[in-house]
Amino acid sequence: MAVGAALARDRAGARSVRPLWRRLAGESSEVRRPYVLFALPAMVVVAAVIVFPWLFTLFMSVHEWKVGQARTFVGLENYARLLTDERFLSAALRTIYYTALAVVTPLVLGTVSALVFHKKFPLRGFLRGVFILPMMATPVAVALVWTMMFHPQLGVLNYLLSLVGIPAQLWVYDPGTVIPSLVLVETWQWTPLVMLIVLGGLAALPTEPYEAAQLDGASAWQTFRHITFPMVLPFLMVAVIIRTIDAVKAFDIIFVISQGGPGTASETLNIFLYLQAFAFYNIGYASAVVVVFFALIITLALVLLYVRQRSKWSP
Amino acid sequence: MVAMTWAVRRHRIRRTLNRVAFAFTVFVIVSPAILVFLWMLSLSLKTEIENIDYPPVFIPGTPTLANFIQVFQSSPFGRYLVNSLIVTGSATLLAILVGVPAGYGIAKAKAYRLAVLVLISRITPNLSYLIPLFILFQMLGLTGTLWPLVITHLVITVPIVVWIMIGFFEALHPDLEEAALIDGATLWQAFRHIALPLSRPGVVVAAILAFIFSWNNFIFGVVLAGRETRTLPVAVYNVLTFEQISWGPLAAAALLVTLPVLILTVVIQREIVGGLAAGGVKGG
Amino acid sequence: MRHRSSQSLGISRRNLLKASAGAAGLAALGARPGFAQSSFDWKRFKGEHLEVTLTLGPRADLWQKYEKEFEELTGISVGSEKVPEQQHRQKVAIEFTSGNPSFDVATVSYHVQKQLYGRGKWLLDLRDLIKDPKITNPEFDFPDFAKGAVDYATQKDGRLDTIPINLDYWILYYNKELFAQKGVAYPKSFEEMIDAARKLNDPKNATAGFLSRGLKNANVPVWTSFLLGYGVDPIDADLTMHTDGPEAIASAKVYQTLNKECGPPGVAGFNWNECQTSFVLGKGAMWLDGIGFSLPLEDPAKSKIVGKVGYGVMPPGPKAQRSALFGDGVGIAAASKKKEAAWLYVQWATSKLMNQRHLEGQYGAPPRASAYASVKASGKLTGPKGEWLDAMSQSVAIARAGLPDIVAVTEFRDTFGVGLTNMISGADPAAELKKATEAFKPVLEKTEKS
Repeated sequence: MAVGAALARDRAGARSVRPLWRRLAGESSEVRRPYVLFALPAMVVVAAVIVFPWLFTLFMSVHEWKVGQARTFVGLENYARLLTDERFLSAALRTIYYTALAVVTPLVLGTVSALVFHKKFPLRGFLRGVFILPMMATPVAVALVWTMMFHPQLGVLNYLLSLVGIPAQLWVYDPGTVIPSLVLVETWQWTPLVMLIVLGGLAALPTEPYEAAQLDGASAWQTFRHITFPMVLPFLMVAVIIRTIDAVKAFDIIFVISQGGPGTASETLNIFLYLQAFAFYNIGYASAVVVVFFALIITLALVLLYVRQRSKWSP
Repeated sequence: MVAMTWAVRRHRIRRTLNRVAFAFTVFVIVSPAILVFLWMLSLSLKTEIENIDYPPVFIPGTPTLANFIQVFQSSPFGRYLVNSLIVTGSATLLAILVGVPAGYGIAKAKAYRLAVLVLISRITPNLSYLIPLFILFQMLGLTGTLWPLVITHLVITVPIVVWIMIGFFEALHPDLEEAALIDGATLWQAFRHIALPLSRPGVVVAAILAFIFSWNNFIFGVVLAGRETRTLPVAVYNVLTFEQISWGPLAAAALLVTLPVLILTVVIQREIVGGLAAGGVKGG
Repeated sequence: MRHRSSQSLGISRRNLLKASAGAAGLAALGARPGFAQSSFDWKRFKGEHLEVTLTLGPRADLWQKYEKEFEELTGISVGSEKVPEQQHRQKVAIEFTSGNPSFDVATVSYHVQKQLYGRGKWLLDLRDLIKDPKITNPEFDFPDFAKGAVDYATQKDGRLDTIPINLDYWILYYNKELFAQKGVAYPKSFEEMIDAARKLNDPKNATAGFLSRGLKNANVPVWTSFLLGYGVDPIDADLTMHTDGPEAIASAKVYQTLNKECGPPGVAGFNWNECQTSFVLGKGAMWLDGIGFSLPLEDPAKSKIVGKVGYGVMPPGPKAQRSALFGDGVGIAAASKKKEAAWLYVQWATSKLMNQRHLEGQYGAPPRASAYASVKASGKLTGPKGEWLDAMSQSVAIARAGLPDIVAVTEFRDTFGVGLTNMISGADPAAELKKATEAFKPVLEKTEKS
């Protein structure tokens, strides 16, 4: 995404001095105005699609409206209700837990895979292609296949575990393990994305520091810790931001596999939103959820951007 | 002398060991990706009774194409395929038309605020588009046509194209354009005749990725499309009947829908890797 | 359906659908009812086009299979689609909300959508059409529909905006072979069910004594199946809730014991499909669910227990013997511009002939009495199919709505479903029910008063 691209570019450095988030706030330097005209058609298209839904959502969020019934204005009541709604609050906490796992795991595995794929070996191109298949496959379809693999009695996963002597797991069928299991699918699907971003970073690395390190007799780990890691860090931040936005919004996988269950054990904000809007038809309340949810994601993204910028100033 | 060869030999053994370890690592990394798809293939070729058997049957005992036949019977698969091609094709094409210049403009003007506007469309949960957009299309009299789908798929395709193109245009050396501008070319001419041809690989990647992510979209196809205008991923769900398990047909449908994209991915993985690394993008 | 309270009502209302299956005295059976015999003019809307949206499932398959027949009969062309249940509900609700749905005919589930559609007056009141001989085929014979089914379809204000198409009775499937191996007899009470489940439960062989839904929302009918046996409905017509009283607690304990002690591992995440999978593999001794889920059980391509399946009527509870009932209907969009042509389609789809095909092909349980009579007379359903039919006929007499007839039925299922899932993990039934009842009460008051 743009922020990602911009961040990645920032790493290459020097093109812009001021923090990105301040530029986001609009203080762009040396704007050569006519260029903005190029962006006009795209802006019109995007705005045309999102403006009406947003106005509609804001309007509905101050109304009580259940589909099929009369609509009444209730002011900020829906928002007030959210603050005391236990289901909403625990869904919010659960979303944070899910997000943390679904960001960190692919990040670690993605970085490792990127280091592997950065090396040259036979069939690398083909295997890299195979590796990124999960993120290209139709999410609904693969989620359904995973559902079957998780089956506690008949699933392939428990069978594979039994081959190596590990007892059967309940996976998504147990409140305690459902979120890690869902994250497993999320990880399977989106580790390739992290890998690709980091790979892009590795490809852009200069070679001199490595040559120097080699001369100094640094170990592989030292080289990674002191040279590679700091230099790919900006790319990792890009990955963190993208993964965070996607993990907070995760829907397909959870909805298809566990539907928020068992009980409410995997009911994240997006699932809660779905229930309110499309199972209970409380459009007013659901709209308030969307607004709060959106504010949450934006805040999270800005905080991450800010942290990223801060870290840049203190090397 | 003897010590020397010993050292060489030890070095060789270590190298071989390292290689084996590395190969093993690659195997571990790649196998989950491929195994799930192989399992999908296995499911699609087996009978229902073999599919739910335990221990699992990996190689079909009596391979059958019945599951695939059922997929074609349960949905107008051909119709959905044509719709998918039209919707995804148009959404990709339109996104290239508006997104490539936008990427150029944003990159040149460093207008990241505009980039954020594009970002917002991606951050908004897809669910919240459904009701308002349906009502909007109803008012415009577009329901029952493919337009609602093409328009909503732009939410997926435009951001991808814009982000990737920002990356490509920023990396482009500005000298040639500057020279053209000094020679009296307009901004448009500089873009059209100099920047655009140079960024052609970027356009290709952007188009491919936009196509893939639009292709996979499911929810818009269910709610905003009519009977005649459904897209292909809907067919996956259509084999999931209430009252009967049907893993075989499900896997067959999943495979049929995913296969074009998977093949495309393996064939053009080099371009995709380049594009993703530049733009850091995922659609959806 | 709506009952003021089981105690104060006459037998005919308490025993739903009594008039249905197997009712004697139905003459002229065996002969296939047709369409072309009467003088009724089917061709009056020749050249028109109808859009029909159906919930994916056996009935949709049946209707689509014979769709050509309707087109030839009437000269009306039909564009029909089937959409998976959940997506179908979303789509239909959104289209109705927009005021201008793209379809003329839609299917509706009574246990989930009925009240929502009724409030919105989204569907056409069919009562006048049924009475109008000009537009209704004399052979349509509306009284042929079971009274209980018609009651189920009727809205609170008396409007009849759908014609029933299928009823789903909950029965107890059991594995005869496993029962015989352990010398267990078919249970005749809830206690015997628990006893049998305990004896048959065999974790070493991965065989569960009892299979039922544990997944939130889907699990509520399992509990209400027991609740009905304690002689109360979850919610009465006057909105009195019986969801945290002694009956509710006792029935929840039955639910908890069966699932927690005798259920398969991970049952808290089981929906009908996981139960069905385990059952067809012979990994479950009993399975409580709708009769409509029986289709794959006798299919050798899908089942390992062909010929071993017992179809049992729900055992009696301490106060009553009840089979929880669910159902679907078909209605005409009030905003449709082709209401009368659509009515022809509805008449055809719910005709005697289609109901008969419905039963013969085991597409489910049709609502017309004549279908049962003719199928019995023709002797087409014998062997295991005959047992299936018997279980159905017996359930008809004891059927009672498995979910309350309220607008907020999905919230009801969700709220109580969470409590039930918690019970499987060991939570106290009384406390969970109290909590759920308190949480649901305001929702009920708010949605029912408006």
